[in-house]
Amino acid sequence: MTKPLLEVQNLRKVFKKADGSQHVAVDDISFHLETGEIFSFLGPNGAGKSTTINMITTQLTPTSGTIKIAGRDIRTDPINARRKIGIVAQHNNLDRGLTAFENLVYHGRYFGMTTQAAEQRANELLADFGLSEWRQDYVKSFSGGMAQRLKIARAIMHRPQLLFLDEPTTGLDPAYREILWDHVLRLNRQQQTTVFLTTHYMEEPERFSDHVAIYQQGKIRALGTIPELRQLVPAASIVYATVDAVTAPLLQELNQQPFIKEILQKDEKNLAIFPNTNDQILQQVLPIFEKQPVKLENIRLSFASLDDIFVHVTEHPTEMEVKTHA
Amino acid sequence: MHNQTTLNVFWIMVKRDLLIQWRNWAEFIFRVVMLPFILILTYGYVLPKIGVLPASFPNDLFPGMVGMSLLITGIHGTAVPLSMDFNNSREIEDRLQAPVPVMVTAWAKMFVGMIESWIGALLVLPISLIFMGQSLRLHLTTGNIFLLFLILLLSSFASAALGLLVGTIVKPNQIAAMFPGFLMPVIFTGAIFFSWSALVKLPFYQVLVLVNPLVYINEALRHTMLGASNAMPLTYSLLGILAFTILMGVMGMRRFRKMAVR
Repeated sequence: MTKPLLEVQNLRKVFKKADGSQHVAVDDISFHLETGEIFSFLGPNGAGKSTTINMITTQLTPTSGTIKIAGRDIRTDPINARRKIGIVAQHNNLDRGLTAFENLVYHGRYFGMTTQAAEQRANELLADFGLSEWRQDYVKSFSGGMAQRLKIARAIMHRPQLLFLDEPTTGLDPAYREILWDHVLRLNRQQQTTVFLTTHYMEEPERFSDHVAIYQQGKIRALGTIPELRQLVPAASIVYATVDAVTAPLLQELNQQPFIKEILQKDEKNLAIFPNTNDQILQQVLPIFEKQPVKLENIRLSFASLDDIFVHVTEHPTEMEVKTHA
Repeated sequence: MHNQTTLNVFWIMVKRDLLIQWRNWAEFIFRVVMLPFILILTYGYVLPKIGVLPASFPNDLFPGMVGMSLLITGIHGTAVPLSMDFNNSREIEDRLQAPVPVMVTAWAKMFVGMIESWIGALLVLPISLIFMGQSLRLHLTTGNIFLLFLILLLSSFASAALGLLVGTIVKPNQIAAMFPGFLMPVIFTGAIFFSWSALVKLPFYQVLVLVNPLVYINEALRHTMLGASNAMPLTYSLLGILAFTILMGVMGMRRFRKMAVR
């Protein structure tokens, strides 16, 4: 059995706040990534995703726990770790005083590439990401989408084994999102590049991830493949209903129905209903709404998506059983 | 092999910084030249010409101008980009991810600061020759040219070390306050307009100014360039520069590491 590319064991990060109290940003998390897998790390804003990435990428010192990349502890050998990783940060950290071409070439040179090899690869990547036309333009003149594409090109410039994509498609239009994923998947398939992704676009992990971790308040609430995570929600199908106002009698009536397992009130107008059965569920639910003095604005039946799983897991944190990714 | 890679990356980082500085050369020259220009014009030309200061004053002023320009340019050249890099643009993150020790980035920043400080010191020469050329009576011999080179080298290292410390402490929104709050006191207590030994009439002030590294730099330059008998003994001034360089360097490196790997 081969060693995992990334092993995270009992990782913890505690920050001291200005008032002297402590904030546990990452609370004793463990997981591992095999070579060549795509792993999605999902969580609400402020959940501790970037803190985790910063620790794995040697930018932040953990309070406790161990991180190993290719079997070597990153605390004792951070240089080896950095050689193997590429990072697309959430923020724009491109060199604004350099051109697009220079940004890539300098990055390649930092990673030991010869000038000739770096220039050749830079030209290839600029062409792939549709940036050849702006090759000699300073990055400070780039739009958000262009800068994002260049950041991704720079992160893969030195052909990392482990690529961190921290919300990489934020600010990209759908066409370039597809280009990015084409690239990432090609790297993943051809060079066995392992991908660690955080994103708020749930369709991306749903389409591409081998494993997904749902992360909240510094803890991994659920971890597994998407079919495994689907088992965490009460039903495979969900009825979504929008009414003018959710009332107590409506909720009471729905709760009394034997074919309904659970009801989740998302806000004052929206309900998610988890049925026991998939048979003619809409036909059974609709009369309940018709009997109530509420205006039904919309109703639809769908399979539990990653979005549903995410909402369910983050809203029922204490009920979730954390699966181990083994 | 590993050391060779580290050295290569160091030079690539230096090249990157110099390229960016080269692209802003006009702003650089303006920033470096303006302060010595206005001080030399006022204290080295106008005031001696109208009799407010003695005619020999420009000669005493010259080493101080070289020392000041060297120190201020080195501090500015290291501190300001570092503060912006860490706190605003975060451009430094790419270099900190290079597979070399993170301190290589700090050394590269300091090296560029040293180069800039030398340019700052050199730019004082033409201004001084234009406005004070007739008053300058330098005592440079072949022997003390080497000593002068050593002092300038050590002083540029001190300026970059101080720049590293300042750059890791000061936030970009505090840079504007750096001039009145830090650089002005350094300049006006830095033995530019007076020799340290002349402060014997103000013993408290004479001791107080010893916390300013510019005092040691200027006294060493005054001793070497003018052969001034009233300058601080060379051993003391050199030890002062060395002590400040080590102290600021160690503190700056610690701060840099803390910023780089939080």
